[in-house]
Amino acid sequence: MLNVIKEQKGTVLAVRLSGAIEESTNLDKLLGPPAAEMNIHCKEVSRINSVGVKIWIKYFQEAKTKGTKLKFLECSTAIVEQINLISNFTAGGAVESIFVPFSCTKCRSELVGLFKTEDLKKLNFQLPALKCSKCGAPAAFDDIPEEYFAFLMR
Amino acid sequence: MTKTLLLISARPDDEVFATQVASVAGLTLRKANTPEDGARIISEESPGVIFADASSEQEYSRLEAAIQEAVGLFSEKIDANAIHFITCENLEKVPYLIQSPLFGHFILRNYGDPAEAGEHYGRLVGATLGDRAFGLERMLKAGAKIQNVKLQSTVQKQSAVEAIKNYLLAAKFQSRMASVIANAVDEILMNAMFDAPVDELGRPLFASVSRSTAMRLEGQHAVEINVGFDGRYVGLSAIDHFGSLDKAKLLSHISKVYTEEEYKVKTSVAGAGIGLATVFRSGGSFFFASENRARTEVTVFFRRSESFREFKDQFRFISTQFYF
Repeated sequence: MLNVIKEQKGTVLAVRLSGAIEESTNLDKLLGPPAAEMNIHCKEVSRINSVGVKIWIKYFQEAKTKGTKLKFLECSTAIVEQINLISNFTAGGAVESIFVPFSCTKCRSELVGLFKTEDLKKLNFQLPALKCSKCGAPAAFDDIPEEYFAFLMR
Repeated sequence: MTKTLLLISARPDDEVFATQVASVAGLTLRKANTPEDGARIISEESPGVIFADASSEQEYSRLEAAIQEAVGLFSEKIDANAIHFITCENLEKVPYLIQSPLFGHFILRNYGDPAEAGEHYGRLVGATLGDRAFGLERMLKAGAKIQNVKLQSTVQKQSAVEAIKNYLLAAKFQSRMASVIANAVDEILMNAMFDAPVDELGRPLFASVSRSTAMRLEGQHAVEINVGFDGRYVGLSAIDHFGSLDKAKLLSHISKVYTEEEYKVKTSVAGAGIGLATVFRSGGSFFFASENRARTEVTVFFRRSESFREFKDQFRFISTQFYF
């Protein structure tokens, strides 16, 4: 089930999504008519199934057609996977920042770090060394770089 | 058919893999270095299982021509259920296999450890040698406990998916892995509930019915899921009682990628048509067993890995068994 927190600031509608996006998700109802500008915060989106993807693309493509300026922020790993798999997942909107998965080399804890996509490109996807927040050991990027950052390399 | 596994490949890693498969499945390994040798052995010895290197279209065409020459593509000695193609390329890069009349199984040659991969795949091959390759217990290590859940209604799907995710977390899968597997379960259950049901003429009953519709799952519409973990691999099977799986449609859906072309939202159908492809690209392997008008079992396998990187890059395959 998806929960949404909305905040209107001038012409910009900021929405914070949390939970799973699936067949029962009604974005028309949850988000309402698209605003002139929309900032979509996806930090807490844990999962999206195929019907959820269809609902998502339908909503944001219609928003784009109506002239909405779309910006996706704090994209969770689940959202990044879809951005990589489906070329029009963001309906032409800008992906501002994404969570990058790390794994502790010692205690194997799962960690994520928030990166601006612009910075990732500047770094040429060479990620800075991170330390595990639980045990302090080094944490390593835990995915396949060519796949996780594929949408930024296109 | 004899209890022989014929390997048509000159690659040492394929030989290690096939040796282990043969050992686990109780078959004798027979090796051919060229498609022509392989076709001759098929003609003379009728091997029960065939593994063939089909890494390039040229190699595949050579094999197809040799088989056509030796026995004919539609000979009794050729059964797609027993033919396993091995390639280095992912499914979308080998359209010649998807379109092949010989297609039964696709093995992506990212073995990691070929012997370990062969042990896992060997159990599946062993299951296909029987009358019907149904039953998850045969495809996991002996002793793996299988849990069965019968769903009473379509609205129970999300709770079942969440319960499986919690089961996986308890089995020490990383949470990201558990989410990917939960999504796979979501997709195969949704297909069993809404795509499998057909009428007497084989026409889909719920093609345009919203996937959030509440429906009772009774009688022929009953859907169940089996879950088992053998310490290394988790297997999850969705079972329906229509036996309506269409091989060409399945392969077309599963091999489709939307990284180059755009995904077009079709409002005439309620499904999305991208679920299985997404699961395969996330590291999952599939085994589809379908008996026409009787039963379909769709099983996904995932290996528990140390890291998500390994998980995503794990050995994988798409296997099909169709019974008419």
